[in-house]
Amino acid sequence: MKTNVRCNLLQLSNILLAISSAFMFWKTLSVVANSPSPIVVVLSGSMEPAFQRGDILFLWNRDKYVDVGDIVVYNMDHRDIPIVHRVLREHKVIPTDEEIEKFNKKQGLKKDKNSNLKIPKNKKIKELKPSQKILTKGDNNPSDDLPLYGYKQMYIDRDNDLIGSVKGYIPLAGYVTILISENIYFKYILIGLICLSSLFSNE
Amino acid sequence: MLIAVSSYLQLNLNDYQSVPSTVSNIDTITTLKYSRNFGSKNREAKENIRISSFDLSADLTPLFNWNTKQIFVYLLMEYEGYNGLSSSKITFWDNIIHDKSEAILDLNSVKGKYSCWDVNNNFSSNHGVMKLGWNIQPHVGLLLWGETKGSTEINLL
Repeated sequence: MKTNVRCNLLQLSNILLAISSAFMFWKTLSVVANSPSPIVVVLSGSMEPAFQRGDILFLWNRDKYVDVGDIVVYNMDHRDIPIVHRVLREHKVIPTDEEIEKFNKKQGLKKDKNSNLKIPKNKKIKELKPSQKILTKGDNNPSDDLPLYGYKQMYIDRDNDLIGSVKGYIPLAGYVTILISENIYFKYILIGLICLSSLFSNE
Repeated sequence: MLIAVSSYLQLNLNDYQSVPSTVSNIDTITTLKYSRNFGSKNREAKENIRISSFDLSADLTPLFNWNTKQIFVYLLMEYEGYNGLSSSKITFWDNIIHDKSEAILDLNSVKGKYSCWDVNNNFSSNHGVMKLGWNIQPHVGLLLWGETKGSTEINLL
């Protein structure tokens, strides 16, 4: 009896170990690549023939600027699925003095006599920094991504919108995730198979 | 991993980073556009530039090995913005090469694919440098980028 309980506990801890080490691997990769999602699965055919649905992409997000021709993954606030497209144009922009002044006025910041900014103590303020503006396009799409962007948005921003740029590629290895999320039966078949295999491995 | 390393080494044997190319006889057209699809915001006039004709010759066969799925080539222009406050790279033309047999490019009076605009309403500098960039898409492994040797300076109208 006693050994049976121990056996079960050991099995449970093994399962937990597998789950936690997978989680650790993912988070470590995330820190190394500086990306919230360092591995993505391609969901659409807009980059064909380079990428098909189900291909796995490895991302890197530590370069200060991306280059024209790079394939980037970006996430827009009003969309839930990240998009994988190629950079068609990039503009590195330093804000002019007028733009900085306008930006500060919008936040309600005022200047004192020596034309230094008065910064309230308990208020978080934003700073207008040099940025990179990017226009993207899918290889398989006839035109650029302007229709995908938000209302009056002409570019995506390097620092705010990008999850990473594609560095590595494995074809079709991620197709299982597409089957799980899009086919209602596949999920149950997979769970059933896992249950069956655990039954047999018990004996 | 082994595939990626051996593929990379083989490309280095081909001397893939020093492929020559020449771009010449570039004619550009400048127009003013007022629609969002051409970069205009609030119906302000936006200066658009496109290439009406250019010649290109390059031999991209060194970029192909057994692991190359396709080559993406693109004609880009580098230029500085007003007062040096911006620096930009824009693509005028691109093409996908599927096979080694198509890798020798010899194009005459080809039209550019894209109508381009700047972050500002006008292109403030009238000087740009044209280059040919490429991206190797492998069957499996690392994606590689680079530029061919040789650039062409152009004056925008």
